[in-house]
Amino acid sequence: MSSSRPSVPPGPSRRDAALRGVRELLPATPGIFAWGLVTGVAMVKSGLGVDYALALSLLAYAGSAQLAALPLIATAAPLWLIFLTALVVNLRFIVYSAVVRPGFAHLHWNRRLWLGFIVGDVMFVRFTSLMRDEPDYPHKVAYYTGGAIANWIIWQVASIIGIVAAGQIPTAWGLELAGTLALVALLAPLCLQVPVLGGAVAAVIVSILGHSLPLRLGLLLGMVVGMAFAMLLERARPAASEAS
Amino acid sequence: MNDVYLWSAILLVTLATLVTRSSLHLLGERLRLPASVESALRFAPACALAAIAASDLAYTQNVLDLSLDNARLIAGLGAVAIQLGTRSMAATIGGGMAIYWLLRWLA
Repeated sequence: MSSSRPSVPPGPSRRDAALRGVRELLPATPGIFAWGLVTGVAMVKSGLGVDYALALSLLAYAGSAQLAALPLIATAAPLWLIFLTALVVNLRFIVYSAVVRPGFAHLHWNRRLWLGFIVGDVMFVRFTSLMRDEPDYPHKVAYYTGGAIANWIIWQVASIIGIVAAGQIPTAWGLELAGTLALVALLAPLCLQVPVLGGAVAAVIVSILGHSLPLRLGLLLGMVVGMAFAMLLERARPAASEAS
Repeated sequence: MNDVYLWSAILLVTLATLVTRSSLHLLGERLRLPASVESALRFAPACALAAIAASDLAYTQNVLDLSLDNARLIAGLGAVAIQLGTRSMAATIGGGMAIYWLLRWLA
């Protein structure tokens, strides 16, 4: 009986999917590690005690928000200002969560809460690529969870080393550049289509022009203008090809 | 700076992170975005990466430097070429850092 049915190759198990997420994150390790290390060093150099720096790293897990809050904490700024600053610096994550939301919509609210919380730039981009290229992949959530947990571990280990060994780590090496280069590596292959490339160029220009805006708002502005410009290009293109 | 202040600051940064990263997830299906916004979200990964990388590479200590003297910028542009040529993240990060350290050593 069974021989009369076409044999269906077994799909990946949940474990396979989680391991694939880890595997596709690992190449970014030097970038994530360098960024965590530099953040850890910066926290201690700003005068935050080792115990508080460890708590901030382990609880918040938000490099740029932590760095933005440091000078405020060091000068005993009002708590509402610290909260507002961290909120604004993190605004890009609202857009990230809007992008990946459909992938998690079927889950219980407490899983959505922590899956959203452990997002990082690298796994966000990897997960959106998976959603786009393999919409029928069975265990997308396991894939994301595996990669995001690996990202968390790499970043925390690096950050803890940075906090504990702040005095021994040479800041003059410019290690944080490795984090930026990991983002460049993720970006380049996305830009092979005209609307995406146009949007990225617009984001670059606006982000550079808006650099003097407070609270890294130039980044958010660049991102939003880039998305709008990419949409315009995409809408204009079919019309242009009909006209020719 | 007392303990209460420092712990409050740490918890508020954590709360701000949680609010921005998870509130849309908690709203779930109840929040419907306009179709044009949903459509534009496809471009969010590239535009976010481009905006972050550009401000990291073009500025050194908050001073704009688009010249050939900016080793970070040259390393970043080199990294784009390495990525498109090799499709390897390890080669991109390693090659970019090598360019950066070489330029600083030569300068």
